[in-house]
Amino acid sequence: MIGIEDCLFEAMSIPGALGAILVDHASGTAVATRGQPDPERSASGLSEAFRATQVGLALSSPSGTVRIDDMIITTDQSYQLIKTMETPFDGPLLICVRLDLARANLGLARHRLQSISRQLIAS
Amino acid sequence: MGESIEATLTSLAGDGATGALRAGRAGTVYLHQGRVCHVECQGTPSVEELLTASGRISANGVRTTRQSAVGDGGDILVRRGVLTKGELQLCVLGATLDASFFLFGLAGPKLRFRDGDRHWLGTHWYFDVPALLLECRRRRARLDRAWPSAELDAKPVRPVRRIGSKHVVLSATQWEVLLAADDESTPAELAKRIGLSAYATLVAVRELAAADLLIRPEPEPLPRPVQKPPQKEAPEPEPAASLPRRAERSGLRPGMGPQQPRPITPQTTGDPTDVNLLIRLRDALEALQ
Repeated sequence: MIGIEDCLFEAMSIPGALGAILVDHASGTAVATRGQPDPERSASGLSEAFRATQVGLALSSPSGTVRIDDMIITTDQSYQLIKTMETPFDGPLLICVRLDLARANLGLARHRLQSISRQLIAS
Repeated sequence: MGESIEATLTSLAGDGATGALRAGRAGTVYLHQGRVCHVECQGTPSVEELLTASGRISANGVRTTRQSAVGDGGDILVRRGVLTKGELQLCVLGATLDASFFLFGLAGPKLRFRDGDRHWLGTHWYFDVPALLLECRRRRARLDRAWPSAELDAKPVRPVRRIGSKHVVLSATQWEVLLAADDESTPAELAKRIGLSAYATLVAVRELAAADLLIRPEPEPLPRPVQKPPQKEAPEPEPAASLPRRAERSGLRPGMGPQQPRPITPQTTGDPTDVNLLIRLRDALEALQ
């Protein structure tokens, strides 16, 4: 069983991790962060990217509803891995990890992030 | 009227104080060595209410734990497996940010600091006072970005019966708000009922309003009328050539400027424009005699 700080510590120990941030999606609050230069801006940007993806996919999916488990965005500089975590109290949390393009293993990173989120939140 | 909560908190933080700052009956800020560790506000769901609404523990269970706890209620709940350490931290953190946003905006509650008082849950998360105040400001800006008017913030949420388009995309929070709306409950009341933070509920309400999914009290908002803050005493009537425009109806006055701290309950203030008009009318009638 881990707390918020341990959760970020674990995320930063994923091979190739450059930065990690925990975002409250409903408010765009940066809950906790490691290795992100401007947490507030990152939080609102990531939260916005997630929202836009959700709306876009809902419109394009045949059933009209989607539940995003995680998002992988490959940029020219890094991978952005965004995982949603449902909490029992409020809207979802996003745990976002920025990964080195050359060093990261996406499969491993997704797996590790999944296990971290299970340890943080029981449901 | 005493000092503002923000100023008092800043000075308590400077002193490295530990204890509880009570803001009348509106809420309480708990400090630990100059850092905020818990905030409660009457209008926002408390940790107790969030725990109960999540279905993890009964209201009675919370009460018994609270009575038997000596500042370590959170640890008891974690040991009993009600929730994990991470969930407890997130719950406290969420409730504190939510309460801060609404409590710090209130004007003029009586402040009283009790040294050494602790919250029954214990200390599970810390906020530096400047960072917390900054976060409240960021949240206000985020709210105004969703929809820049406060006119529906304290009114019953009334969804439209028919939407103007063929389909609509809703977030999970918006769905819950619409489902719980009964044309009578305000956003703050809905938040308590569905067990969501008051802030997230308010954001959802503003987004729904922006998407034209809520019935508005007026057909169209005024194009930003120049409004003066309400004054206690009516000022001398100015000999202006044209009458000041009466801004909407008296009573609740929406959009009293974005910088003003907004209470969560409706304000009932006399409209100074009306008072001015009455005084001028009386003067004119007296001059006729």
